[in-house]
Amino acid sequence: MTSRLNVFEKAALGAVALMVVAAGFIFVFAPQDALQGPVQRIFYLHVSSAIAAYGCFAVVLIGGIVYLWKENPTADRLARAGALVGLVFTTVTLVMGMIWAKPIWGTFWTWDARLTSTLVLWIIYAGYLMVRRLAEPGRQAARFAAVVGIFGFIDVPVVHFSVTWWRTVHPGPVVINDALPAEMLVAFLITMACTLFLAAVMIAIRYRIEVLTDQAADRIVAAAVAVPSKAGSTR
Amino acid sequence: MRSLSIALAVARKDLASEWRTRELVPALAQFVVLALVIANFGFQFDSRTAPAIAPGVLWMTLVFAGLVAFGRAFAAEREQASLEAMLLTPAAPAAIFAGKALAAALLLVVCEAVLLPALALFFNVPLSFEVVSAVLLATIGMAVLGCLFAAMVARVRARELLLPLLTLPLWIPFIVIGGQAVQVGMGAGSGGTSSATSLLIDLDILFVVLTSLVARFVLDD
Repeated sequence: MTSRLNVFEKAALGAVALMVVAAGFIFVFAPQDALQGPVQRIFYLHVSSAIAAYGCFAVVLIGGIVYLWKENPTADRLARAGALVGLVFTTVTLVMGMIWAKPIWGTFWTWDARLTSTLVLWIIYAGYLMVRRLAEPGRQAARFAAVVGIFGFIDVPVVHFSVTWWRTVHPGPVVINDALPAEMLVAFLITMACTLFLAAVMIAIRYRIEVLTDQAADRIVAAAVAVPSKAGSTR
Repeated sequence: MRSLSIALAVARKDLASEWRTRELVPALAQFVVLALVIANFGFQFDSRTAPAIAPGVLWMTLVFAGLVAFGRAFAAEREQASLEAMLLTPAAPAAIFAGKALAAALLLVVCEAVLLPALALFFNVPLSFEVVSAVLLATIGMAVLGCLFAAMVARVRARELLLPLLTLPLWIPFIVIGGQAVQVGMGAGSGGTSSATSLLIDLDILFVVLTSLVARFVLDD
């Protein structure tokens, strides 16, 4: 074993370091919100995680379409990795949002359009991972999951536009509407860039795990096929 | 044209087999009435609360009856391995799927023909045109989605577990919009139902097109 780090370990270290930098911007650089106080600092990671989750689910969608079209195993592994990482970021978004909501709204949960649609998003991609586990591994699991990933993505624009389509208590888009002071905007953009990098690194590592899992499965099949023929030749 | 006649033939086959065995519809009808009985004990119904509670009871019952109906749609095919035989014919998988979905949707409509009058009778809520049209429009989209995932889970382990998990999240848009229309139709909630009707039609078109595009990947594997 060499002590040198491989590319995935280096990328993971880089992603963690960048998240520490983002934490510096969130807690030191960004000014305190006049109305909400320190709780407002949740916003930076909450919104960044949501955008990272959208990105991951877009990977699932594109991977699924490419797989159905070309039967390309790389596309399927990428979709698998995207679904898991996207689920993690959706969880982070939901949990962070609930922690913010308790002091601001006075309750962890309310059946608001955006909260509800985000919860549905979480359930859809949890179902995606269930299909992967329960379907026959290989072509069937990949095809079925691709279909779920394509249908599931319909909920992403619903989540995104829910604050404009319905009357909700969830804050509307503040970044696009130029409602943030400059320092907050800088802190947000840096946090978002770091979070997106973290998501990309997580997908890359998960992709590598999926490749190794598939190779191991292929080796088991190959060994099972090879053993009887060898036994036959010695006899 | 050929696809349409194939779809109708498959639907006719499914309806004929249901007519001969008479398994699903009587069971669903009993299930629906039982659900209303349970709702009666779970909620405090009186003339004042009925318009607020009845729409929820309607959708809860409909959703679970639908899961049972669509789950059964591919059960017989699986038990006799007849789907593979159908797929060996030159018929387009999408046409076969459309026929299965059509038959399952019609069976659910029969079940609704029990549910809606029973709901109106037991809970004394009005059964207006708005209520019936919202339920029927939602049935179309729910049927294509339900059948797509039923075809999928027919080939995996733990299918009873997976079908609600995959289907229910995608049915939610129909329940959101249809639910609102039924609330208005039963005298609770506010707003009109005209936008709900057009939204339900939009959703039906979206999901019919999407499922017909991916049906062959689910059936023919």
